[in-house]
Amino acid sequence: MTAAATPVSPMLVRLAEERATGVLVRDHGALYLADGHVVHAESPAAPGLDVLLTAGGQLAPEGWQEAVASAGARREVARFLVDSGQVTGGALEICHLGALHDAAFFTLAPGSGPTRFRYGVAHWIGTVRPVPAAAVVREARRRRGLLDSVWPHPEVDTAPLRRRAPGHGATATRRQRALLELADGVRTPSAIARAVGRPAFNTLIEVRRMAAAGLVETPSEPAAPTPAPLPDWVAGFPADPDIALLRRLRDALEASL
Amino acid sequence: MPGIDECLLQAMVVPGARGASVVDWTSGLALGTVGEAPGGDHEATAAETAELARMAAEYPSFATDETPAPDGTKGLPVEDLIVTTRTGYHVVRFVETTFDSSVFLHLWLDRDTGNLALARLRLADLAERLILG
Repeated sequence: MTAAATPVSPMLVRLAEERATGVLVRDHGALYLADGHVVHAESPAAPGLDVLLTAGGQLAPEGWQEAVASAGARREVARFLVDSGQVTGGALEICHLGALHDAAFFTLAPGSGPTRFRYGVAHWIGTVRPVPAAAVVREARRRRGLLDSVWPHPEVDTAPLRRRAPGHGATATRRQRALLELADGVRTPSAIARAVGRPAFNTLIEVRRMAAAGLVETPSEPAAPTPAPLPDWVAGFPADPDIALLRRLRDALEASL
Repeated sequence: MPGIDECLLQAMVVPGARGASVVDWTSGLALGTVGEAPGGDHEATAAETAELARMAAEYPSFATDETPAPDGTKGLPVEDLIVTTRTGYHVVRFVETTFDSSVFLHLWLDRDTGNLALARLRLADLAERLILG
């Protein structure tokens, strides 16, 4: 299968063909490549692997911090988590693949600014389960189609989630109820995803289903696009990747104080 | 580290196995696949099976059983889903995780050489080991 002619795809396909290693940065996120495969992705719109693992108590936040501190410099945080018995290989792969495709979905969003690639940069998480770049592009495109097939109103994705008054006949499912409980008219789907420790796309698809079922409101006005900016350490293309790691560590420490 | 690939390879050892996959049923994402897919396309099969699994896992008629088991454990309300076709069996086993997820293991079997009861037990065991290690 070939990738569609979206602006980012040709570049990603070329990088995959030349088995490139480095980081591809766009307005809404970053994809990390190793030997042409996508090994990690990050986006401000998508909860990170740390959130997915710690929100439900699978991993203690201290366990994550210890892994980053102990194995971040040698870029083996994932391996450390498994080897230290805190997370099994299967659980880590499931969470990491979920996070990877989630962040890739936002990173590869059509028309989100210029695409840059810096060769040689590796992520400190290390290698979990590399995905062919073409598969990542294909999945991101499938996801976009799936959202629109459920309820073609992207404005519900970014607006604060508001319940509709009951009486429309539809009943929320077990997993939808967990989202509705946090729908206070302030939190956006992205914020709710973070709170429950679920990938943002999985939350968006449920929000679209709930909007289609009349369980939540569909805003009449398109929400003003307020894309969360990428952290400086990614967007700024630091010359030394270790500086990126140190900044990341500092941010994590500050956040935990 | 044992993970998705090892789980899938062990699923393929089940008599009659033709193809297997680990799928997230909220998004329809195939996390890992091995062997054949019914239409030749694992990603399409994952998306379709995910729709079926979602209905089984969430429709109140199936997912109301909140009663703890006799040993006190409280597992997923729906354990598995079986579809028999003219030429094959499909066994879908929901994977219970300690983190928020919606994952199942799907095994496609040949109708002549597959044993549905055996496959169901093996898949239940594999689904547990995928998470517990």
